[in-house]
Amino acid sequence: MESETVISFANVSTNYDNGHDILTDVSFNIGPGSFYFLTGPSGAGKTTLLRLIYQLHKPTRGHIKLFGQDCDNMSRNDISLLRHKMAIVFQEYSLISHMTVFDNVALPLRVRGFAPDKIKKIVTKTLEWVGLGKFANVYPLELSGGQQQRVSVARAIIIQPAVLLADEPTGNLDDENASRLMELFIQMNKTFGTTIILATHNKKMLETYKFPIITIDNRHVSFAKANTSESPRKWKGPQPQSQNYFSEISKQFENIGNS
Amino acid sequence: MKKTKLVFSLVREQSNFMTTVMSILTFLSVLAFGIALAIGGGVINWNNQWEKYATVQVTKVDNTKIVKKVFETNIDKIESVKEISKSEMGERMKPWVSNGAKLNDYLPQMFEIKLKDASDMKMIQEKISPHAKFLTHTSAVKNSMTAGLKLVGITIFILIIMLISIGVCVSHISRNIAMLHRHELEILNQVGASDKFIARQMQLIVGKISAIAALIGFTIACPIISLILMTAHSARVGLMATISLNGTDWIMLCVLPILIVIFSVYITKQTTLKILSNK
Repeated sequence: MESETVISFANVSTNYDNGHDILTDVSFNIGPGSFYFLTGPSGAGKTTLLRLIYQLHKPTRGHIKLFGQDCDNMSRNDISLLRHKMAIVFQEYSLISHMTVFDNVALPLRVRGFAPDKIKKIVTKTLEWVGLGKFANVYPLELSGGQQQRVSVARAIIIQPAVLLADEPTGNLDDENASRLMELFIQMNKTFGTTIILATHNKKMLETYKFPIITIDNRHVSFAKANTSESPRKWKGPQPQSQNYFSEISKQFENIGNS
Repeated sequence: MKKTKLVFSLVREQSNFMTTVMSILTFLSVLAFGIALAIGGGVINWNNQWEKYATVQVTKVDNTKIVKKVFETNIDKIESVKEISKSEMGERMKPWVSNGAKLNDYLPQMFEIKLKDASDMKMIQEKISPHAKFLTHTSAVKNSMTAGLKLVGITIFILIIMLISIGVCVSHISRNIAMLHRHELEILNQVGASDKFIARQMQLIVGKISAIAALIGFTIACPIISLILMTAHSARVGLMATISLNGTDWIMLCVLPILIVIFSVYITKQTTLKILSNK
């Protein structure tokens, strides 16, 4: 966990079921506390790269290391334990439609075996600071797109992850809500040292926030350094006093998606 | 706070269909097991009914005294000795030998004895056999007991087929749920759920379906078993009239649906873990 690189790819390749390559010979190292944009044309393999990091997709060649652990021969149980330190947010929200907002957000805590009263406390607080406190018993399909994205983000950050992967999380949001969500991610990165890789098409966003950019084009990955001199931050781990964690970033969530 | 703990949801039609199939299988299992126990009990009752009885046929008149002497010396072990008179024998054999007067010359002298304890049968048999023909009633009804045991075997075989069917059915239900809920499985993977957690979710669904099915199947099977027993008892004589279920048998019948639920939950876990490991 305390290794210098959080995510390490060495000559990783992967392909579609029909055998066509998506990514070829990809190598990079990402340190703790980094914030990267991931960009590239549609179908270039951004989602695949995120899925490879999150171990939802296996490489056909090469090696992936996460938190210093080699993922090549990891058992399913080891992978699920590894995911306890990571979270992923998709553009299409990935919410369970027959479960209430409360249950959707509570799911990561339930799979980690938290006690029901503790779950209730943390989820209630989380929903309050994403501005969905009164929507706890509502089903996702009764919410607007922006609100659903907030549920999805709340579910991802409720575990205070060391690595947060976001696949075009602002794709369905207007500019104002997109920038609020970005501020939240930046706050998480600055305050808690969460490593964030955010896939986006939004050129305005890439220009506004001066973070290093990973570009995928023609099955290869290239890195462009940021124009900032900020040093990387180290993940501080889940905060024992959840109150502090939530209060630090709560301001960013006000009114996102309510419009 | 309203909470939905199950990640996998079944629509009413799916749930009803699975409950119906499981109810039928549970019903047939309980029925087969009930019949097996009832016939098994009947065979034991039938055997116990005759194991103290024997018939002695004295064909040589000179041996009658010796045989009677054996009865006298073992009077402490014999509950009763009944001499069957020639007129009584003639009456019993009438359908086969008509009313022939010569019959009396060929009829042996017969005794029906009842022992106090069936374990003395062998000793008495050894003492009488050199002088007269000794026939235990158990050996006389051996064919009907063998037939009864065969029926028990057949019904147990049917029970095993039913249990295998339940296993296959539950495995299919689990696969079906997993196939219908790929989206939920993907989300569970995303939030770091272990295979055991996912399997437990499946077990909760199948456990609930199996428990309702067990209750329905058992509730329908019990009156039918009682009806079968009542119909068999109406025969009054023979092995069929002796089939019955005692208290222990009914407890075993009650335990069977519970075991089916446990079996279903176990199969669900194994199937789910197998599906997930092949993903």
